[in-house]
Amino acid sequence: MQPFDPVNFRGQFQFFQHNPGWVYLDNAATMHKPDVVVNAITNFYQRNNSNVHRGAHSLSQNATRVFEQSRDDIATFINAGTRQQIIFCSGATAALNQIAFGLMHTVLQPGDRVLITALEHHANIVPWQLHCTRFGVTLDIVPLDTEHKVDQQAFTELLALKPKVVSFSHISNVLGHIQPVAQMISQAKAAGALTVIDGAQGIVHDKIDVQALDADFYVWSGHKLYGPTGIGVLYGKTAALELLTPIFAGGEMISEVNFSHSLFNILPFRLEAGTPDIAGAIGLAAACNWLQKINSEQVKSYKAMLLKQFFAGLKKIGGLDILSSPVHNAGIVALNVQGEHPADVAELLNQQAVAVRGGQHCAMPFFSQLGLAGAVRFSFAPYNTEADVATSLQALTQAVEILTA
Amino acid sequence: MTLDQLLTDTKPALSQIYAEDLPELSQARDWQSKYRILMQLGRKLPPIPEKMKQPSLLVKGCESRAWLMHYYNQHQDQHFFVLDSEARIVKGLMAIMLSLVNGMSNAELKKFELAQAFDKLNLKPYLSQSRGSGLNAMMARIKDCCH
Repeated sequence: MQPFDPVNFRGQFQFFQHNPGWVYLDNAATMHKPDVVVNAITNFYQRNNSNVHRGAHSLSQNATRVFEQSRDDIATFINAGTRQQIIFCSGATAALNQIAFGLMHTVLQPGDRVLITALEHHANIVPWQLHCTRFGVTLDIVPLDTEHKVDQQAFTELLALKPKVVSFSHISNVLGHIQPVAQMISQAKAAGALTVIDGAQGIVHDKIDVQALDADFYVWSGHKLYGPTGIGVLYGKTAALELLTPIFAGGEMISEVNFSHSLFNILPFRLEAGTPDIAGAIGLAAACNWLQKINSEQVKSYKAMLLKQFFAGLKKIGGLDILSSPVHNAGIVALNVQGEHPADVAELLNQQAVAVRGGQHCAMPFFSQLGLAGAVRFSFAPYNTEADVATSLQALTQAVEILTA
Repeated sequence: MTLDQLLTDTKPALSQIYAEDLPELSQARDWQSKYRILMQLGRKLPPIPEKMKQPSLLVKGCESRAWLMHYYNQHQDQHFFVLDSEARIVKGLMAIMLSLVNGMSNAELKKFELAQAFDKLNLKPYLSQSRGSGLNAMMARIKDCCH
């Protein structure tokens, strides 16, 4: 385990050398990629490229070995019980679509209920809406309390309606609030529901141990964890994965494919139709292996320090509505300049080379409830610096000045 | 408030924007001054009252919501518009756009090219960025009013 050194850490991202003037605080949208990830992808294409699971020649067998090693590495990274529980997909959105579609008729029957929360990303709302409507399943939504947190009392009450599936995010992509996942999972299980966790933001904040967490599914996107775009992970308990009807059918699903039984069995295959994103999986595994070597507690406290400085600086800027709480926060701050549209604030920050997101962050229902047009979102990563915090605070001060002049 | 009143209030605002603000904008030295001007531009257009913002007036494709109202004077073959946006920078840019096309004949409006016009005014950088999509959506909606 290496100690976390912020300067050395940032130095591993060439993006910053190529974009020296920018302060990048849009990490909840996507993260930058360290050299180790870029090199793993390049290396694969330059040296090992062949299609996988088509073992007619040794090159393919070699590519298969490297690809399947990625599955092992990722299983280790989240402490999955077996490698077959790691299903590669294009990202958290694809995973949630697979789960929502896949549980219809096998678990969910017409008249059954599914429970989600009012804090979800569209990816954890729309697939359920789509399939619930089609299959005659009722979708219930847990409302939020006055602090924009999931109303735990309402959650308990809605669980009494015996939903068969409960799906919610580990960490809110809008506010950065960390949900009490462990407690919510155990309550949902006690109510007899299958549990689905959208870990798109959760995976990057904390060391995830899926066995300790004990959810039936935990899904995430590679690109939000230093990995390439186009790859993600659907982790499921074996019994839960067996319940999924594949959403995609095609090559490689089973039996016709010439593959080694010592390496593969039905499960990861059944849900991975078509040629997988081989290089993507290898890149993501490289990110996971790299992260494994860095002291995650030190990374967390460094990020918490940046967040604390940012919140302290915000206090000195008048006229802000800060939606995020500094408590149980994973490094995301959503705010508005009072009376101003977030698009204007984001644009004025953009003019000052501070990259943030302004808008509804794929969480329209959340903002409709608050009667807001959206918010400006600052999301921090361990490669951000104290100088980034200071610059973004100055830029925000300047934006407020221009807007309120 | 009626459409007639909004149209009447919009017209002089647009003339003023065209005659006074556009030259000022092209002479602005730093980005802060440019954006201050842009935001003041938006303020000059009368806002469409909330009650009148029917869903059918909403222009899709903008990051922030924007609305467009239209009146065609058949006798004089002239198109007139009123628009609003909840974001001030976008509204300022839309005001510039409208100052260029308001009162155009059907034939003129049909062949109007926003990119070209903005280029002439050295405003093209504003189109190439993300909010360009909102402006282009508004332009498409304005052109849809042609027959």
